[in-house]
Parts: sequence; structure tokens; C-alpha cells
Amino acid sequence: MRKSGPVEIVRPKDLREASSLVREGGMPLAGGTDVFVRVRKGLWDPPFLVYIGELPQLRGIEPREGGVEVGAAVTHAELLRSPLAAQLPVLRLALSTIGAPAIREMGTIGGNVANASPAGDSLIPLYLLEARVNLVGPEGERSLPMEDFILGPGKTALRPGEIIRSLWIPFPEGKPLPYFRKVGRRRALVIAVASLGALFWLRDGVVEKARLALGSVAPTVLRPREVEKALLGKPLDPGLLRPIADELSRLVNPISDIRATAAYRRRVAGNLLLDAAARLPRA
Amino acid sequence: MAEEILTAETRLVGKEAARLDAVAKVRGQARYADDLSFPGMLFVKAIRADRPHARIITLDLSWAERHPRVVCVVTPEDIPGENVVPVIYRDMPLLAVGVVRYVGEPLALIGAETPEAAEEAAALAQVTYEDLPAVLDPLEAIREGAPQVAVPEAAEAGNIFTHMVIRKGDAERGFAEADVIVEGEYRTGYQEHAYLEPQGVIAVPEEGGMAIYGTLQCPFYVQNAVAAVLGLPLSKVRVVPTATGGGFGGKEDVPSQLAAMAAVVAAKSGRPAKLVYDRAEDIISTSKRHPGVIRYRTGTKRDGTLVAVEIEFYYNAGAYQTLSSAVLWRALVHAPGPYRIPHVKVDAYSVATNTVPCGAFRGFGSPQVIFAHESQMDELAGRLGMDPLELRRKNALREGDETATGQVLTESVGLPQAIERAAELCGWKGLRREVDEFNRQKKFRRRGVGISTVMYGVGMGAKAPLLDKAGAYLKLEADGSVTVAVGNTEMGQGATTVLAQIAAETLGVKLSDVQLAPVDTSRVPDSGPTVASRTTTVAGAAVLDAARKLRARVEAAARGFFGVDEVEISDSQVWPSGEPGKAVPLSEVAHWMWVHNWDLGATGWAEGAPVDWDPDTGLGKAYFVYAYACHIAEVEVDLLTGEVHVRRFWAVHDSGRIVNPALARGQVAGGIAQGIGYALMEELKSEGGRIVAPSFTAYHIPTSMDVPAEFVIEFVEAPYSGGPYGAKGLGEVPLMAAHAAVANAVSQATGGRLREYPALPERVLELVEGA
Repeated sequence: MRKSGPVEIVRPKDLREASSLVREGGMPLAGGTDVFVRVRKGLWDPPFLVYIGELPQLRGIEPREGGVEVGAAVTHAELLRSPLAAQLPVLRLALSTIGAPAIREMGTIGGNVANASPAGDSLIPLYLLEARVNLVGPEGERSLPMEDFILGPGKTALRPGEIIRSLWIPFPEGKPLPYFRKVGRRRALVIAVASLGALFWLRDGVVEKARLALGSVAPTVLRPREVEKALLGKPLDPGLLRPIADELSRLVNPISDIRATAAYRRRVAGNLLLDAAARLPRA
Repeated sequence: MAEEILTAETRLVGKEAARLDAVAKVRGQARYADDLSFPGMLFVKAIRADRPHARIITLDLSWAERHPRVVCVVTPEDIPGENVVPVIYRDMPLLAVGVVRYVGEPLALIGAETPEAAEEAAALAQVTYEDLPAVLDPLEAIREGAPQVAVPEAAEAGNIFTHMVIRKGDAERGFAEADVIVEGEYRTGYQEHAYLEPQGVIAVPEEGGMAIYGTLQCPFYVQNAVAAVLGLPLSKVRVVPTATGGGFGGKEDVPSQLAAMAAVVAAKSGRPAKLVYDRAEDIISTSKRHPGVIRYRTGTKRDGTLVAVEIEFYYNAGAYQTLSSAVLWRALVHAPGPYRIPHVKVDAYSVATNTVPCGAFRGFGSPQVIFAHESQMDELAGRLGMDPLELRRKNALREGDETATGQVLTESVGLPQAIERAAELCGWKGLRREVDEFNRQKKFRRRGVGISTVMYGVGMGAKAPLLDKAGAYLKLEADGSVTVAVGNTEMGQGATTVLAQIAAETLGVKLSDVQLAPVDTSRVPDSGPTVASRTTTVAGAAVLDAARKLRARVEAAARGFFGVDEVEISDSQVWPSGEPGKAVPLSEVAHWMWVHNWDLGATGWAEGAPVDWDPDTGLGKAYFVYAYACHIAEVEVDLLTGEVHVRRFWAVHDSGRIVNPALARGQVAGGIAQGIGYALMEELKSEGGRIVAPSFTAYHIPTSMDVPAEFVIEFVEAPYSGGPYGAKGLGEVPLMAAHAAVANAVSQATGGRLREYPALPERVLELVEGA
């Protein structure tokens, strides 16, 4: 155990010790890109921090059961560099928009998931790919789909003493067309005002299957399944998709905040579907 | 300046010398304000008002005083001299008495053993207030019955701090003669300086007085402010700027406030006292660019000849005068733009509100009105069916023309050349065709090209000619090296390198033989502030003056040394004229001078050329010379999201002779980035007089991804006879021109007309959908 700074940071030797420290009230710390900012601002006041960023059990990127298992403390940059992630283009698209290089080198995928921000850039591909969150805690291990893990802004299904061990991200069937776009006030180092990720499986020039996930337009990342269904059988032609884009705008549930108004977010949510259609090949 | 110096072959001036401070900064050896520490040093924290306008009922510091690590608490009664931050007026107290006028106004000070203790103790202060009605908007503040914010002695009427005019010709007649008239209201918000290094000073009691170290632009302002609050003669206050991590005007007047606060704590405790802001405190409590409400009406003949302009604008000055009257004056003079206009009517107002005082920011009041005049030019071009470049070409000021204040431009007017060169570099006509072609092909993306032309009055101008001066002291050391002392500061702009180049050029020594001494107010006479893009021109002229005197002495000595009638000096070598084979190192001559008790020091002095101004009409010779620029921006707008990307940028400047082209290009590139930020993304929100989210998470400045991949920067050099080697000022001009080119490009791309900064995606989407 090592201490440093005005907030005590405890360094557990393994996952079991980490879990029991978290159960005692410690806050898990990995890259610190969210934790340090909030602790310093006084928004979070944990009794101590539990540094899990270098636990070997949380650091792997391994192929597993038709997908890839990514340790919670793997950084965004490590994942971007990994050959396994190269098989998940939508994940790479989203990760490469997180913060800036320095933040991607520090921030971790598990941290981004635990933070449960509706603007979390890595969450979009995890929802799209239907990833599962593997948890470890005093009562053993369990696994939840992303949508069941994230309950609201900053709210997760984590139980006392539980920490995220890894994400399991399945490879999608076939070769869906990937899309990811984040809208913000500048082109880097920015929190999404609205974002859309999508996977489209096309056959004979029309959508055979589609998955959409939107960020910053609802309390959590949103999978608009009605719109996904409505797209079936349609060509990716922006000229024809306006009614579905409008439907998407109606469906989202954004707020107004310092970054944008709800009306703008609503409008852009639909428009991003048109953007996807305009940018992706039609067959 | 003699004619020969404008045309002389130069060895160092005009060359790309590396920055003298580059290595220390890259290695992390440069010492900024917070890097300095003194034995026994206390940490200062201000207790600040959290109301925009209120009567202070009680201020109870007893709990704060009881904090075990608090050494002293300072209230207004503890100020040994005057309770004032002297700027142009004396309306702003150092610590509020009776009434607070903005959120963040300092009430009292804590001096503690650690920064944490100072912070904890400040939080223990108990203040009770009786709220007064607050007014936050300048247009509301000038209404009948608005709450009185301005200290009456500092205001012309009610909350109008200052009203200034230009009356040239007869605007009414001008509009009657006009064939086309456009009219518009433009709004701009705060811009935050976002210097890398936040504000910070250390006050150190020393023999009989006070030394101040800190990140600052204007050491003589700080000297004056500290002397006032301590009740000391100026000779007992010494100010030494530390390495300064950016200023942009933000460190013009504000460091006086910090230094005065640290000084009163140091005086009361007898210990050094450090006051360094974190980013949030810096954003909440320090100056910014004035928000503006700006109305223009401009008329032309059918052929595009400008005939009349009528301008009325209101700047939100905040609660105290600080620099607002000077900012307003520059805005007034620059409002009509770099054009020939026979009939001009301008009414400029700075207005007091219950908000943080605004102040100096690169461009000093001009960017707001430039946004308006350059928008008007494009609107006119649209109405006339004329190419916007052609409209500017037609009306741009040329040598011999009269400015809007009736000043005849007798020399150094490089604007027409700047416009032509910019058009040539970007291939204006082809570029516009290329953009049209792109726009025909793309469904959801539109490109636009925007142009702006600006003029910039170099130096303080006719409102404050008393500040346009500079001193220099040069010393030839016995080994032939040279020490240069000046009173103007290096804040990242490259002044020390440029001044060293001028000294080395004039003396005939190698640049590496010249060392700039740390600025210290006790070394040189009051050299005015380091502002107004004046350092190369005015401090450079002072260095030139001293260097010529010193060179004459070295030549005289060398004639004796060689026993000849004429000598030459170059590159730290001296030889009898016509006999370069007999050259000796300058060090030998310097040593010989030292042995023979020659005076090896020389002082130099410079002042700006005469200016004049009639406050009733606004007419006169406003500035001794002007710099000019033409910028062209190409942007791409996403019609689905309203996001704007600046794709390419061309900038051509006339700042007279360029002393160091590499540094000059750097200044232009930085100004373009700052201008892109101003036009597109920089927004500081406040609610009820409180700045919300004072951090760089919410306040966005451009990243390297937000500036164009392609910058083309060039100079057309129209030498100025009053500047060293023909140099004029450059520092502020790039920002002034850049934002307006971007704004015009956005308007052109969307088919709408941007009338409010910043052009956030949301606002641009509205333009797109409204077009």
C-alpha cells in the first residue's frame, strides 16, 4: 500500500483486495481523467482512492468466444493500437474522438463505462456491438449487457464492492458498414453535444439490419429500435430517409445545457442519420 | 529616421534569428511567477463578493483570523496608502468598502503559511449583504431609472462611463447621395485571454520598500499601483517581470491589482507574499474583451464608392472604468475601417454594469467593430452585385488619402499591396469558382470564402501620447559582449529577440554577443506599457538610439586604437577602413576602452511622433502610423450540424520592415487561431452576473485540429520612416483581421448573414435553415 497527496490513494495487490477496499468505500481509480478532475473540484469526496490501473487482471486484450475481451484498465490508446480492435472499425472510429492524445493515453475503457455519461464516446460502439460488462465483487462474478449496466447519468448497476473487470465485445456477423460522428464546438478535446454511431448491414442495396446508438440526447446512450426497424428494406439514400430522420428527432429526449439547447440536439440527432446515409456507400 | 537606414543592407534585421529565450523555455528552465519562492513567503487569498451589487452589512473575519496557519488578514483599514487600483481613473478600490459592484470583487485578504490554509481561511469569512438592484446589460444600464453602478465621479452621465464621437463631413447628406444603403446590428460576447500562465505575483519587502516579481506586461503600471497602496515614493518600489506565459492585454492592468493585493499583505506581515490565481479565479475576476452591441449603416454609390457611414455602439465595461475609455477610443477610431469615406458619424459608448471589469485584449476594442464593418462591406457587395474583394480594392486607403478622422496618410500605406498579394496568393477568382463547384456537387456541405481588410493605429495614439515613450540602456562589456536593458517586456511575442537584433545590427556585433537584461523598473526610465503593438517600433527606436551613441563612441575609440581616420565594425570585428586584413575582434577594442576608462554605457530614448485629436469632432492625427492587413479564409460548413471548419487561410500584412520574419509569422499564425476562436467558438456564459463554468472544459479555444492545415502568411513591407529600420507594429493585427474573414466566409457558405459571435454550430444551423 502506498499513500500520496491530500486524498489517500491505496494500491491493492490483486483484484480481491481491490474489491474489498472498494467495499469499504474506496473509489476505484484507473486513468484518473474523470476521478482526479472531480475530486479536485470537490464534486466527489471519496474517503480514499483504490488504484486499479495496473492490476494485471484488468490489463488484457484477448480474443474470447467470437469477440474480444478488454480489461477494464486498458486505455483508449492501447485499444486503438491493438490488432484485435482493428476488426471493430466502429470502435476505433469512436475511440479516436475521445479527448485528445494525452487523455486517450490515460483514460480507460472501464472508467468510461463506469462513469456512465450519456456523452461517453466509447459507450456508443459498446452499445452498437452489444458488449457485455463483466463484473467482479464480493459475491463473485456476473455479466450484464451494456443497456442493463448503465441506468442513468452517472448511475450504474454496480453493487457495493463490485468493480468492472472487463468488457466483452462480440465481433458482429458479416461486415456491417460502420459510422460514428460526434458533434461538438470544436474538432478535438470536446464533450459531445450529440453523437451517432451506427452499423448497417446492406443486401442488394437496401438495409437488411441496422443498429443505431446516440449519445448526449437522452439520460443514457440510446438504441432507437423503432428507427432501426424502420430502416429495414430502405436504401441508404439521404433523399429518402428524411421521414425516418424526423422520427429519430422525435424519439430522442435531450436536455438544454451549457453546450447546446435541446432543440438543436433533437434536430442534429435526426440529421446525423442523413449524414450517415450520405457518407456511407450505398451498396 | 534617416532615409539611409530604411534602404540600408542589413546583416541581422529582416533575418530569421532563433528566439533568445527558446532553449530555456523548451528545457523548462524559464522561471514563471509560480516557480519563484522566497524564504518565509506567505500565500495570499482574496475574499470575494458573491453578489453582483450589494451593500456590505458586516464583514466578520474572526474565524478566518483564528485559523492556525493564518498570519495576517487585511481589510481596507490596513492599506497604508490609498485604497485604489489606479488605472486611467481612480474609481476602483483595491478592497471594496460599503458596496460591492460585481461578483468576484475583493473584500479582504488572507495571508497564510500555505495556499491550502489561505483558501480554508477565506472560506471562513462571514459576510452579510443587503442586495441592491443589479444591472447586467449595457442597454438596460443606460435606461432611465436603471440602478446606478458607476462611481459618479468616474462617469460622464449615469452609467455612461464615456461617450466619444467622430463627426466628419455630413452623414445625412452622404446618405442622401448614396445609391445603396445597408444597415445591421451586430453582437459580440466576452473573449477570454486564455494565456497559458494564469495571473501571479510575489511581493517581497526589501530595504526601505517593496519588490514585485510577476507575470505582467506593464511594469511601470505595477510600480505606480503598488506605490499608491503602500503610500511609498516610486523610487521605493521595484518591479521585475518574470518569464511571462502570454498576456494578450490580460496582463496590462490586472497585474496592478494582484501586485497591490500581495504588497499590502507583504507590508502588513513583513514577509514575502505570493498571489497566484488558479484558472477559475482568473476567469471570474480578471479582464476580458468587452461585449458589444454595434449598429452600422453604410452607403455607397452604385459603382461601390463609399459615401457615408453611421455607427453607434455600446461596450459593456463592467463595474469600474479600468481601461475602458482607452479601449473605446481605439474602437472609435477603427470603427469606419481602412476605407476612404467622406461622411462619417460615430457614437461610441462604454457603459457600467454590475459585471467584472473588461479591459485590454489584443485589438483593444477594434475586433468588435471590425466584425461589423467587414460584414457591412460584404452586405454591400451582395447588394451591389460586386465581388467583395473588388469593393475593398476600390475603397481601400492609399498613400495621400484621408482617414475617417481626417488624417492625411503621408507614408507607409501598404494596404493596396496587401489586398493584391492576398488575392494573388489564394488565386481569388479561381478559388471562388472552385468553391462554387464544390457547392454544386455536395448535398450537405457548403464552402465559403471570406475576406477582411483592416488598419491598425500603431502605439498609444492621440488619447494617451504621454505613454508612447521608451528608454534603453546599453552597456559594452570589457570583453566585447553587450548588455541591453529596456522597460518593455517579453510575454511570448518575441520582443527580446527583436530588440537584440536591432541592437546587434546597429552596433555591428554578433547577435550571440547581445544579452537582454531582465526588465527591472529601477534600471531604465518609465518606458510606458508593453501594449499597442508598439515595442518593436518605440522600444526598438530607443535601443537604436542608444546603440548609435555607443557605436559612435566605439568608432572613436577604434580610430585611436588603430591610429586611423576611419574604421568599420561588423560582426564583432573592427578594422581600419579599406584594410579588412587588419581586423581585430571587437573584444580587443572593448578591452582597450575599459583600460583607458572610456564610458562604456549609453542611454537611448524614443517617443512616438506627434499626434493630436479634437474630442468634440473626433478629428485629428489619431496615430503616428498605421499597419494594415488583408486576410482570406476558406471554410466548410456542415449543413446538417452547423459545424464550421476553417480549411485554408491566407494572410498578408504590412507592418513596415519585418525585423524577424519567423517570429512575425508566428505572431500572425497565433492571431489567426485566436481570431478563429473568437468567431467560431469562444463563449463565456454568465447568469445573474455570475460567470458559469469558468474552465477550459466549457470555454473552448481552438485546438491544433481547429486551425487550418494550410496557412499562407506573407508580408508586404511599406517602411515607416519613424520606426527602427522602417518597422511598424504587428502584434494585434492578425487577430483583428482573422475573425472577420472567417465570419464572412461562414455567411457566404450558409447564404445567411452572421450577426452575432460566436458562430457556434447551433447558430450556424439556424443561419443555414433560415437562408
